[in-house]
This record gives sequence, structure tokens and C-alpha cells, in this order.
Amino acid sequence: MLAFIQVLTSGIAIGCVYGLVALSFVLIYKATETVSFMQGDLLMVGAFAALGLHLGAGWPLWLAAALAVAFVGVLGAGLERTVLRRAIGQPHLVAVLLTFGLGMMMRGSVASLPAAAQEVHRLPFAADTYAIGPLVLAASHVWVVVATVVLAAALAAFFRYTRAGLALRACSEDARVAALMGVPVARMHTLAWSLGAALAAVAGLLLAPVTFIHLNMGLIALKAFPAAVLGGLTSLPGALLAGIFLGVAEAVAGLLLPEGAKDVVPYALLMSALLLFPNGLGAGLRRGGGR
Amino acid sequence: MSGLRTAWRHLWPWALILALAVPAMGADYALGKATLVITYAIAGLGVVIVVGQAGQIALGQAALVALGAYVQAVLVGHGLAPLLAMPLAIAAGALGGALASLPARRLGGLYFGMSTLAFALIVEEVLARWDSVTQGAAGMAVAGFSVFGWRADATLAQALVSLGALAAALLLCARLVDSRHGRAWRAVRDDEVAAAACGVSPAAAKMQAFVVGGALSGLAGALYAHWIGFISPEQFGLVFSFELLMLAFIGGARRLGGALWGALVIVAIPQLIAVLRDHLPGDWARAAGLELVLFGAVIVAVVLLRPSGIAGARP
Amino acid sequence: MKTLRSFALAALSCLALSAPVSAAPGVNAKEIVVGTVSDLSGPIAMLGVPVRDGMLMRFDEVNAGGGVHGRRIRLVVEDAGYDPKRAVLAARKLVQRDQAFAFIANMGTPVVMATMPIIVDAGRLHLFPFSPHRATYEPLHPLKFQNFAPYFDYMEAATRHMVEQRGYARTCLLYQDDDYGLEVMKGVEAALARLDRELVERTSYKRGATDLSSQIARLRAARCDLVVLATVVRETVAAMAEARKIGWEVDMLVTASGYSAQTHELGGAAVEGLYGVSVLPHPYVEGANSQLAAWVERYRARFKAEPNVWSVMGYTLADLFVRTAEATGPELTQEAFARTLERMQFSRDYFGSPSYRFTPEDHLGNRHGRLAQIRDGRWVLISDYLE
Repeated sequence: MLAFIQVLTSGIAIGCVYGLVALSFVLIYKATETVSFMQGDLLMVGAFAALGLHLGAGWPLWLAAALAVAFVGVLGAGLERTVLRRAIGQPHLVAVLLTFGLGMMMRGSVASLPAAAQEVHRLPFAADTYAIGPLVLAASHVWVVVATVVLAAALAAFFRYTRAGLALRACSEDARVAALMGVPVARMHTLAWSLGAALAAVAGLLLAPVTFIHLNMGLIALKAFPAAVLGGLTSLPGALLAGIFLGVAEAVAGLLLPEGAKDVVPYALLMSALLLFPNGLGAGLRRGGGR
Repeated sequence: MSGLRTAWRHLWPWALILALAVPAMGADYALGKATLVITYAIAGLGVVIVVGQAGQIALGQAALVALGAYVQAVLVGHGLAPLLAMPLAIAAGALGGALASLPARRLGGLYFGMSTLAFALIVEEVLARWDSVTQGAAGMAVAGFSVFGWRADATLAQALVSLGALAAALLLCARLVDSRHGRAWRAVRDDEVAAAACGVSPAAAKMQAFVVGGALSGLAGALYAHWIGFISPEQFGLVFSFELLMLAFIGGARRLGGALWGALVIVAIPQLIAVLRDHLPGDWARAAGLELVLFGAVIVAVVLLRPSGIAGARP
Repeated sequence: MKTLRSFALAALSCLALSAPVSAAPGVNAKEIVVGTVSDLSGPIAMLGVPVRDGMLMRFDEVNAGGGVHGRRIRLVVEDAGYDPKRAVLAARKLVQRDQAFAFIANMGTPVVMATMPIIVDAGRLHLFPFSPHRATYEPLHPLKFQNFAPYFDYMEAATRHMVEQRGYARTCLLYQDDDYGLEVMKGVEAALARLDRELVERTSYKRGATDLSSQIARLRAARCDLVVLATVVRETVAAMAEARKIGWEVDMLVTASGYSAQTHELGGAAVEGLYGVSVLPHPYVEGANSQLAAWVERYRARFKAEPNVWSVMGYTLADLFVRTAEATGPELTQEAFARTLERMQFSRDYFGSPSYRFTPEDHLGNRHGRLAQIRDGRWVLISDYLE
């Protein structure tokens, strides 16, 4: 039983990272109707930016982390202004390919730095553990969960109480009506990309103490897509919850199911959820609850 | 004679490319590359049918290539003649395509695209786990292609065999695209509701497109297994799927010829970069990520500047 | 039709022209061309870059000293990123365009298996590839040579040594589910079979896995007292850290893929006490002999990076090539090189490498690894090469 709970806590922590990446994906999709296949690369760039500022330039860790997130946010906005804007209103595949190409360029750029590409790196976070009775929690896992809760609350407040947040929501509901009401739709698109990119960078920083920083850490986005879809693609809380659900499901499957099942679980869940609830789990639950 | 002339009009750019490539690169290198371009083009045709004709988002096409490659490899490994194994490899691809298209009955657009992604990842995992047949993640060696004792070891033979398969595939596709099926695909692509109103079943049309696309992928996979000589599940991952998608997009997904142009670009760019890099001075050209950056840049540029692809209509 | 015919003629004459002129491709009066199909951007780029740099360093030294019998050595590097499709074309380019005399340190099993036939069919040497596949040295082929101790052999010896010496009763395995993990599994099983034991529990992870908590929980539930790790650096650290986190003080033994200075740099206190197998020691500066210290200095100056065990490996492979080419004499052909290498013995050097020896019957240069343990934040060798 203890082992089960122990594994469960790890699953929740990893699930939070899935959830954050899924959140960033959904945020962009909702506001701009474009599909981003570069969230994993933004995540990796964010982690490397913090690493470079801290270890390379010698800035304090908190400042380096904050600047890295800001940097990736600006990067997202810049890419939206120059490239991704052209994908709006086009078939989904245009955005898929554009973001995939941009992601390749980001990965290539980081790989070109000899100091970055050759090694796995760590940020000097403390590797402490907290004991609650017999249960032991890694500090990095606790951090992930706390940060996710704080971020989720901050995002909820942003969308509910700020002008920009409300405008962004209006944009996501119906861009044309929002434009008629005087919302600067183009600026909102830039904001959405910027926020989405920054969120991915935060996820990268949270992941850094768990898996360290390396060129392929962005692969985690492959687990975030199922989460985003499970959550219904347009629901922010849905994406976050689905991410946590996937993390837990994966961990429990690793413990209880036969060898090798763990890696298929997210996709098998995605397949069955898609077939059972074609409009996403969130919609399925809502419909079930309404009856 | 006029048929010959139209054929020549389509073919001369390719003859020119080959004529330039052979002396520039050496025959084996050029023909080896031609073999790979053609094999990619066959798989790319499948994507053109699914994406360009039927308008579906297919993010897992490499899994269908994998099915063809594995069926071919396993059967040939058990002593079946490659030529006899090939129809079964094609059938495996088609069957996989039919399976992958099942969610389309309930899902549309992006959701369906995501289901193809999940399908591909599940296939990859099954190939890695079913090690009594596929030898799992360790991968399996595949014997060379041979017909009645004649072995296609030379690059010229490999290029010719691929070319034959591509010609057959192109002919078949051209007929299909002009047929009732092709019209149904395009109707579904342009407006599903209107298509249904006109008596076209969108679900059936999508499945047919996936079956054809899967069969082409299976054929490409069977050839791929012979040409590369060693297959393992990881080779058919997401990157390969995206390469095929990019191929169709760069070449022009609306035209069959787009698959060829796209294949040329996708296969040639990394090589071109490698050759250019040898001539660049200084250490920075050795940087590992350079090829990735340039490759990504080409894709972004093509999508932005030629949204309908190289073979597509000019904007 | 006339254009067609003249085109065909032109193509044919090109074919004829591109046929090799010299008897030994890749060698002329001034230089020897050496090719490598490496991984500089894929999943094992962490190996590819230092191996390449190590080879470059050795070849630069030779060239600065006047070359091998007056010929400079030129290394042409192609990046296949672990993808056999790219590798096949890269190999053809190196064979035909660059006329590589030999291939050294091609990287990754899919890459090696896809390119090896192209290389040996063209009559080029296939030397020391980074792949545990037996086909790289068995069955005997006149152009294929390998010097990496097979996972099967050295993990069999290491596991047997550990179990015999320390009396472990319940040996388990955590492995990466690819060819690497499977080879280790066979070796561990063979060792236990020789001691009339069985593997108590085995569990795997997929390359790139994020979290190993469920695997470690599984192993703990099986009450293992020795966990053999077929992992790479990151997963090695993750496995140890997870076990220590939940207070499980089990002994772990990792393959040479986890024997890296990065393991203790990343893992810190969590990996203290970890056992590992070394097939070549890490070049620590502290306590280094004077030759090694000078070598480390030269490497740092050249590449602005710290050398690691893979840099030493690249340097060593290039050195084996240079010494064999020198011993072959001025009449350098693939055939002459291969027959010379078959008689070569390379004694242990200042890096602490094993002795490599090749014979006409055996093209595998080394089968042995030695045990090491992380003590006070660095690897300490605790046994000689295990027979």
C-alpha cells in the first residue's frame, strides 16, 4: 500500500508537468485555432536559457529562471508576429508543419552550442526529501505540484479579473464578435502565443530537477498531446486535470500492469476516450452530469 | 505519340536531375539516393491521397510503412520469395489504414488527426513488444530483394525496382483520382456536409482513402525493408511520420507529382547540407545542429512562400 | 529520340569515369581519408561529439608530426542522428564521393547494421563501430574489426564476480528496452545460470522515460539485493535517487554506459556507493599521471570542453588506426591494413585502457571490463580487468 501511494505521488508530480504543457497547448489552440507542435522545444529552450543565465552568466537562480521564462514568452510573441500569424485561418496542417519546422530550428540551435549539446545538465536545486510519516516526497516533486497550483490559480484570476484576460477569452469564444466589440484580436493572438510559450518554459524549469536538462527533454510533449485531447482541446482546467490523470494512470500501470504496458497506457486511454467521448472527456462528463 | 510527348514533358526535369547528379556525386551515391527518393515518393503518394485528396490530418503514416516493412521482413525471413511477400505487405498496410481510419466515423478534423497519432504510437509499441515475431526493439536484419534467383544488390537494380513500383503506383493513383472515388474524396475534403447531401458517404470515402494510402505505405515499407536491410520499431516513429507529411506539403499535396518533388527535397536537403558543409571553412560548420536548423528553415520557408507546394498551382 | 540516346551515352560515360582509379580507394601520395557516420544530433549525441573530437585530436597530432609515412589523415564526419535512412546515404557519400579508406566508430545499431554491407561490399574497412551487435565481428569477415567489449561478456563476468564475492541472493535487472538492454539481460542471465540462480525480477523503461518510480517500486517489492542497471547516465541517476529517496539501500551495478563522470556530477550523494563496470577509465585530472594530465590540458585547449571517457575512446580508436597504418608500411591498402591489424597487440597505455589484441581468427579486440565504485564523488577502480 505504501509503495502504491509512493508511486502515486510521483505520478501526480509528473502529471502536473504533462498538464502544464497541455495547458500551454490548449491556451494557444483556443485563442488562435492553431496547433502547436513546438511546445516541447519551447520547454527545452526555456530550461537551457535558465541554465545559460545561471551557470554561464552567473546570475542568481531565481533571476535566471524568471528571465528565461520571460525570454521564451518574448520568443513566442516574436514568432507569432513574424511567422505563425500566417497560419491563422489556414488548414490545421499549416500550423502543424510550421511549428514542427520552428521546433527543429530551436533544437538545432541549442544543439549547435557545444557546451549545451554534449551533456546532461542540472540546475542547483536542492535534492531534499520531505518525510510525512513513512511517506517520502522528493522536494522537486513537491515544487512541481505547488507551482502548478499557484500557476493555475494565477491563470484563473488572469482570465476572470484582468482586461487582457477577459479580452483573450472573448477572442477564444468568437474572434469576429470580439473584434466588433473593440478587442484588438491580433494583439490577443500575440498574447496567447506569448503566454503559451512562457507556460511551456515554466514546465521546463519544473521538469529540470526531475529529469535534468538535455536536448531531448522536450519529448515529454508527446505525453501532453494526449492530455490536451483528453481534456477536450478547448478546456484549460480539462487539460490540466487530464495531464494529472495521465501521469497517475501511467505510474499505476507501471506498478500493477504487466511489463511494458506503461508506455502504451496514455495512447490507449486517448484512443478509447476519443471513441467514447468524441468531444473530449470534459464534454463527456458535462453531458453526463447534465442528464 | 502525343502521350509519349506529355510523358516526356513530365519526365525531362527528372532525367536532367539524374544526369547532373550522377557525375556530381558518383553513380552509386546518386542511384542510392534515387532509390530512397523513389521509395519515399511511394509513401508520399499515400499521404497525398489521404491529406491532399481526402483532406484528412494523418499524423501517423509511418506506422503503416512500418506494417509493410515488418510483414515483408518477417515473411522473407521465413523463406517466402520477396515478390510473393510484397502483396501481403501491401495488404497489411491497407488493413492498417482501414483500422486507423475507424475513428473517423465519430471524429473529425484535429481529433481524428490525434487519433492517428495515437494509433501510430500504439503500433510502434506493439512492434517493440511482440518480440517472438518482430525480434522487438533489437531490430531485425532483412535479406536483399531477389526475383527468381536474380538479386537486386546493385544500386542500379534497386533504383529500377523502385521505379517500377512507383510507376505502377502512380498509374493506379492517377486512375483512382479521376474516378468516382477521387471525386468523393475531394467532395469530402471541400465540404463534408455538402458531400453527404450529394449522396457521398464521408466515412466510406475516408476509409477508402486510408486503405489506398495504407497500401502505398505498405509497398514503400516493403521496399524500404530491403533497401535499408535492417528495421527496428524506432525507425518508424513520429519523425518519419512528419517527414512524410512535410514531403507531401512541400511537393504539393493536391497533385500526385507533388509526392516526387517533395521526396526529392526531403531526401536531398540533409545531403546537400552535408556536401556544402564540407566546403565551408572553420569549426562552426561542424556544429551538430546546423543541418537541423537549415532543414527546419526550409520547411518554414516553403510553407510560407509556396503554400501549395512546388508542384502546386502558383498563388 | 536522339536526345534520349545521347543522354544515355552521357550517363554511361559518367558511370565509367566514376570508377575508382587507384587500387586502394582513400589513399594517395598525400592523404588517407577516414570516414565516420556518427550521431551528433540524435539520441546518443552525448557520445558522438566527444568521440569525434577525440579522433580529431589524435589525427591532428599525427598530421602535425608529418603524417603516416608522409600522408596526412583527413577525417570526414557525417551525422546520421541514429537514423538508418540518413546513414545509408551518408555511407554512400563517404564511399564514393570522399573515397573513404576506412570507417571508424560508426554509431548506433540501426546505423551500423544498415551501412555495414555497403561499406564492406565496397571493400572498405569497418573498424570499431559503436554497436553491441555480434555481426560487427562475427562471423569473421576480412574487413570487420571490433574492440568494444560486448555487453554480454563483460556483464556476465561482472555479475558473476559481484554475486560470488558478495553473496547476493536476489539479483534483479532494470533495463532500457532496446538492443542494448537485451544484450545485458542475456549476459546477466548467463552469469546467474552458471551459479545456479535465476533473475528474480526484471523491469524495463523506454528510452526518454521521465520517471522510474514505478519500476523501482516493483523491484523493491521483489526484495532484490542487487539491481543490475542497463541504463544510460540519466536513468542511472534517476534509479539510484528514487531508491535512496524511499529509503531502499540496495546495491546497484551499472554497465559501462553508466560509467561516466556525469553520473556523480548529476547524482551527487544519491549515487554514492554505486558499482559500475569500466572498459576504459575516466580521465580524472586529480591524481592523474603526468602524461594523462598533459593530454587533458591539450584536449581542453583544443575543444574548450572537459574530456570524458568517450573522448578517450575516440582518441584511442584513432590511435589504433594510426599505429596499424604505420606498421602496415608505405604500401597502404585495405587488405594490407587488415592483415597487419590481425597481428597487432596494443599494450595498456597511460589512460589505463585494457590491452587490445587481434588475431586472424578473432577480430574482437577486447572482452573485459573492470569494476569501479563511486566513492566520495568520483569513480574508483576496485578490480582489475575481469577474465
